Amino acid sequence: MNWTRLLLGRIGGLLLTLFLSSVVIFSALLLTPGDPIAALAGGAKPTPELVAQIRAEYHLDDPIWMRYLQWLSGVFTGDFGRSFVYKTDVMTLIAPRFGITLQLVLLTVLIILVAGVGSGILAATRGPGVDRAVGILTALGMALPGFVVAILLIWIFAKSLGWFPVYGEGAPGWDRVWHLILPAVSLAVMFIAYVSRVTRSAIVAQMHAEHVDTARVRGIPRARIFGVHVFRNAAPQILAISGTTIAGLFAASAIVEVAFGVGGIGSLLTEAAARKDLPVVQLVSLILVAVFVVLNAIADLIGALIDPDTVTAGRQA
Amino acid sequence: MKRSGLLVGLALGTATLLAATACAPRDGGTAGGGSAPVDQAQLVAALPAGTQPVERVTWSVVEGEPATLDPGASANLIIPNLCDNLLSLQPDFTIEPGVAERAEFVDPVTFVIDLRDDVRFWDGSPVTADDVVYSLQRGQNPQSQWYGAFALVQSIEQTGERQVTVRFNAPDLDFRNAIAGQGGAVMSRAFGDEVGPALGSSDAGLMCTGPFVLEPGGWTPGRAIEVVANDDYWGDAPLVQELEFVFVTDSSTLATALTQGEIDGAYNVSPSSRSAFEGEGAGSLVLGPSTASYSFGPATAEGPAANATFRAALSATIDREQYIDTVLGGLGEVQKTMVPPFSFSSLEAADIYRAGYDALETPGRDLERARELLEESGEPLDRPLVIAIPAGAKEFQQTATILQSSAQEIGVDIEIEELQPADFGAMFYDPAGREGIDFVSTQGYLEVPGVTGYPSLFMLPAETGGVFNWSGYDDERVTAHMQAARTAPDVETAAEEFVAAQEIFTPDQLQVTLAGAYQTTYLNDELSGAVTSIAIYSSPWALHLGGK
Repeated sequence: MNWTRLLLGRIGGLLLTLFLSSVVIFSALLLTPGDPIAALAGGAKPTPELVAQIRAEYHLDDPIWMRYLQWLSGVFTGDFGRSFVYKTDVMTLIAPRFGITLQLVLLTVLIILVAGVGSGILAATRGPGVDRAVGILTALGMALPGFVVAILLIWIFAKSLGWFPVYGEGAPGWDRVWHLILPAVSLAVMFIAYVSRVTRSAIVAQMHAEHVDTARVRGIPRARIFGVHVFRNAAPQILAISGTTIAGLFAASAIVEVAFGVGGIGSLLTEAAARKDLPVVQLVSLILVAVFVVLNAIADLIGALIDPDTVTAGRQA
Repeated sequence: MKRSGLLVGLALGTATLLAATACAPRDGGTAGGGSAPVDQAQLVAALPAGTQPVERVTWSVVEGEPATLDPGASANLIIPNLCDNLLSLQPDFTIEPGVAERAEFVDPVTFVIDLRDDVRFWDGSPVTADDVVYSLQRGQNPQSQWYGAFALVQSIEQTGERQVTVRFNAPDLDFRNAIAGQGGAVMSRAFGDEVGPALGSSDAGLMCTGPFVLEPGGWTPGRAIEVVANDDYWGDAPLVQELEFVFVTDSSTLATALTQGEIDGAYNVSPSSRSAFEGEGAGSLVLGPSTASYSFGPATAEGPAANATFRAALSATIDREQYIDTVLGGLGEVQKTMVPPFSFSSLEAADIYRAGYDALETPGRDLERARELLEESGEPLDRPLVIAIPAGAKEFQQTATILQSSAQEIGVDIEIEELQPADFGAMFYDPAGREGIDFVSTQGYLEVPGVTGYPSLFMLPAETGGVFNWSGYDDERVTAHMQAARTAPDVETAAEEFVAAQEIFTPDQLQVTLAGAYQTTYLNDELSGAVTSIAIYSSPWALHLGGK
């Protein structure tokens, strides 16, 4: 009962968020200054007749709400529009690139979880020396912008040492992973620091909890105490923060993708925005929002699965 | 007569693309400052032809992915390898036979084109006179990028099995040069009729005769364009089997990928990465002759910007040597007027043009004179003047900043307005987009030889082809000389008329020319044979590319 309600509530909220974001994205794009005619004319010098023809063809003179409804009805029939610049179906343009960004994000998540959670645990359990060292490193990691990390990594590992390729996404398979490692690390650095700090404080808080003291007094082995009592109780908090982090990665990937020449969804968005390619910007933005809310919801649900009490408590509050 | 531009799309296209692509927050190398000067003699128009076959070459197009490969609608570095032109432009800007064995004026208004008999499209069908009529007629469409070259054409007809005759309303000496560029690209009528307006898109593709073939599915939008060697090419078949175009637009990423050898070559590499390119790496930076130049010009008929004396005052504040060092990393030279010498270097009457150019005053910094000119202009300094540049493009930013600080020295305030690429592009055809803007910063080039096309855009009255004549410039003598130059019965008269016009329009600075830029190419050391002059926009530059 509780679960169904929770799930339905989540899905409802999700759809509402998506709807509202689509309205915002759509109107924001149309209200920003700039004219897509240059992109639409495709290099030719547009004559007044051509401009008129393009405006009619793409309904550029219709009111915003009407264009939104047209777009929305298209979405429901699987027609997301055609790119102004590439003149091809937006979905065929986005799909393969989304796959690349997804791979990049997955690799990044792996790095973040291993390094972030790992260093957080170390900081919380291995004494003040380690704690301080991790603290300094994470402060540094949070302070460095992604593109600075990217430059450093390219400089050290690609240019000087020549261990990694510097550009592109490579061929599918091992080559792809190889190409994506540096981008993933530069993307991960800032988030590692974040996840590490949250992990550390969640674990420290749990270690001082009453039931952990009790367990210790009863002589239960340290490893078991940590696994059953400390980590399990700290997990929902770590998961929640990881969920938000992962969702944010999709948006953050743009800078790294541009820096490493990776043909993902982020670099597409950057380029499409500069060229005023509205259908592409709309769909990519919407996908990013959707990914964000869905991942957050999933993180919440998993958190609830691990510790049902927090849900009930959260719902009632 | 309507002259739209050979350069219209280019001036604006290049600027727009640069703006769209140069979003780098960082540099590959250190810019300008103390970089070694380049001697004219160091410039090379082409590298020695390759001798070894190569399986695959990856080439980056720094301007980004084109919207179309239709030669009538776009000028980009991919098309020249796919579609042959009627005449073939050589790296040194001379013209040789191409798909046309012969193409000449038989009288001042009749141009006869005789075709080779052995040229075939990629699908094996022979090129017919009818295909050539179709191709040339595409240029008569005002929407064509090359419309300006066809402005005086009266009719285009098949007059023999392999002969096409073009008749003119008035003599037009520029036409022969134009068909050595994409205005003379040969397309299949049957294919064009079949795919309609989708021609040149990633879905429909092309049907041309060039040394590389775009096969169905060769263009993955947003990713790469892959073309393969045309083994049945009517000339020598290319040595490179597969040529892949990628679009790395971040100059720093590109510099690294090129020097690491992950990308084999690129044109128009950023001068700001010069030190990275000249350092140790997989390839070398090659400099070639070019017609490209940086300038700024008036965007309005109101106020100081429209006043020639005021523009001359601004021009006299700028230290051009320093400009070249800062903006072009030393890879350019002072240019006296808007028509760069390379555009006439291969013309028959080159000596006359050269003498006319040499006679012009070399622009330089002279603050005293600048103050005098400012005084003479009578313009009040009651408001800052606005210069528009495309957002994110470093060269343009630097240009505007240099202008801003040098103008300040004579008390002129300049404000910089950065426009998003779409807005910057719109400014060129929509008067509303130019509102509140006094000057616009531009970069342009000429892709075929010839001198009249470019200046006409800025100084002829709008109704006779001055599509960028936003300041309302109208000097009867200039107009008369320019018209006479274009319609002259012989090349010497044409040259003399042009030189006479140039003498008058140069001091009026309808474009305040800041510098001529060299053509930059970075090529992997294992490769050779690339064209390295500005002819890359019109000739199959990868045809002789191959291993050393």
